[in-house]
Amino acid sequence: MQIKSEIAGSVWKIIATQGAELAADDVIVILESMKMEIPITAPKAGVCSQLHVTEGEMIGEGQLVATLSVG
Amino acid sequence: MAWENEIDEIHTRRKLAKQQGGKAAVDKHHEKGRLTIRERIDTLLDKNSFDEIGEGAGVPEYDEDGKLKDFQPANFILGFGQIDGRKVIVGGEDFTVRGGSPNPAGLRKSVYTEQLALKYKVPLVRLHEGGGGSVGGTGNDKARRPLGDPVFSQSRFVPLAETLSSIPVATAALGPVAGLPAARLVASHFSVMTPNAAVLIAGPQVVKRATGHDMTKEQLGGPQVHLASGAIDNLAEDEADAMRQIARFLSYVPDNAWSFPKALVPSDKIDRCEDALASIVPTSRRQPFQMRKIIEMVMDQNSEGSSFFEMSRKYGPSLITGLARLNGESVGVIGNDCMYYAGAMTATAAQKLRRFVDFCNSFHLPIISFVDEPGFMIGPDSEAAGTIRHGTAAISAVLQSRVPWASVQVLKAFGVAAQAHFGPDAYMLNWPSAASGALPVEGGVAVAFGREIAAAEDPAARQKELEDMLADTQSPFPRAEGLSVHELIDPRETRPKLIQWLQLALNARTEVPTPYLTGMRP
Repeated sequence: MQIKSEIAGSVWKIIATQGAELAADDVIVILESMKMEIPITAPKAGVCSQLHVTEGEMIGEGQLVATLSVG
Repeated sequence: MAWENEIDEIHTRRKLAKQQGGKAAVDKHHEKGRLTIRERIDTLLDKNSFDEIGEGAGVPEYDEDGKLKDFQPANFILGFGQIDGRKVIVGGEDFTVRGGSPNPAGLRKSVYTEQLALKYKVPLVRLHEGGGGSVGGTGNDKARRPLGDPVFSQSRFVPLAETLSSIPVATAALGPVAGLPAARLVASHFSVMTPNAAVLIAGPQVVKRATGHDMTKEQLGGPQVHLASGAIDNLAEDEADAMRQIARFLSYVPDNAWSFPKALVPSDKIDRCEDALASIVPTSRRQPFQMRKIIEMVMDQNSEGSSFFEMSRKYGPSLITGLARLNGESVGVIGNDCMYYAGAMTATAAQKLRRFVDFCNSFHLPIISFVDEPGFMIGPDSEAAGTIRHGTAAISAVLQSRVPWASVQVLKAFGVAAQAHFGPDAYMLNWPSAASGALPVEGGVAVAFGREIAAAEDPAARQKELEDMLADTQSPFPRAEGLSVHELIDPRETRPKLIQWLQLALNARTEVPTPYLTGMRP
């Protein structure tokens, strides 16, 4: 499952580690957008199989942030 | 029986009409995971309530002896029925006949739908699946080209447009919907589409030929495209869910613009004060919060959960719009969602707001606004989108509003865009977290005190100091002292305060409900 950002911003913090098991609503990364910290969360439980962004990187709307392996 | 043959033929024709496009076409339709239009109508309406109009419209085929051999029914099904005991009119294309592209009787019935709805002033539901016109016209005989409508006939778009200011219209896209049916689909107050539906001005072949884009109909006009484009309001899980959403939408609105919405027996306590409201807004201005949770905690709860029914979530997502019940009364609800660009007003959020406010005014729904507006979205994309014009149009719609209006300022109300959250003579409640001004301090300080900050020994520290100092001036206490708001409240009091106000506002209404017509806007 591809986790995409719905907003543009910079990657402020990466919270999840590659290979980590995540529950639904667990935070994967936190973006900084319009001076606010906006979390991108897992929509379902799964394993964070890949992170596609690095801290400090500017990302756009619809950009792939992480891949989640579900079930 | 004197008319036995004729009566028999009526029943034969009815039977043939119910076969729709024939068994093979119906089976093929089911294989695609879709219901036929008659099955859809049965799913939507109360059991046995469908009262069909024009069932006998269609094209008969006779044998050599002049006896009826076959009958191709009109490929638009139309009639009255009931949803939760309430009269509606419902119509939709029959995809199993000519792929829903109108045959002559189908076109007549589809055009008559809006006229009937306007005449009897009942809510209208259209269930769409089908194509638009064909270059061959509506008939099967390609040699006989269509003559066109006579010059004195009324355009079918006149009643289509009139319905929007007169009666509630809810529509669904339940398969491919192109051309005229697509235009009718969006001529609605609420529209929903299933995951396998596509909404298109023109289909893939026409697009490829004209523009070179080689795309599937799903890529061109699937839910991903049209929930974000704003052409369609909501996604349904499946056809049954689409019908449930339509029924739910209709439950909040009156039969027509000449009536007020009907109140329900309240399902919730007036004085339900949720403790979580007192701490839901973080004290740090960098931390976001969930506005939907606030809305759900304040609005009525019932046996099925929250009474809040959100519409158009994916379009202009920095603004939340939906319908809810407050002490049993129907209300329109708006709120900023700070998870999207801090809740800033984008061009699409502004268009969403203008449309929603006009809808609430059309059907006399009081508006409750939960405010966290940092201002218009800024930057090159926002300028290119013409945000300032769309935003100013939204503000005009809000301030021309004639429904009772209450605004709960939860957090921010900054800049010109803040005006879009306070209707005329609004009842204004502030939470202790409310902050107002021309600009949020973070941006405003950098501009107004740029030189002072640059000259400071420690510019970052000076900026922080100025920001903190100015944040204090944006506090709600001085506004409460000056009666610039009706009340500065403990957030837990929001629900009872709003209910007390709503009862007063509704009791004070003296005007007779009439359609809402507006003038030119920016």
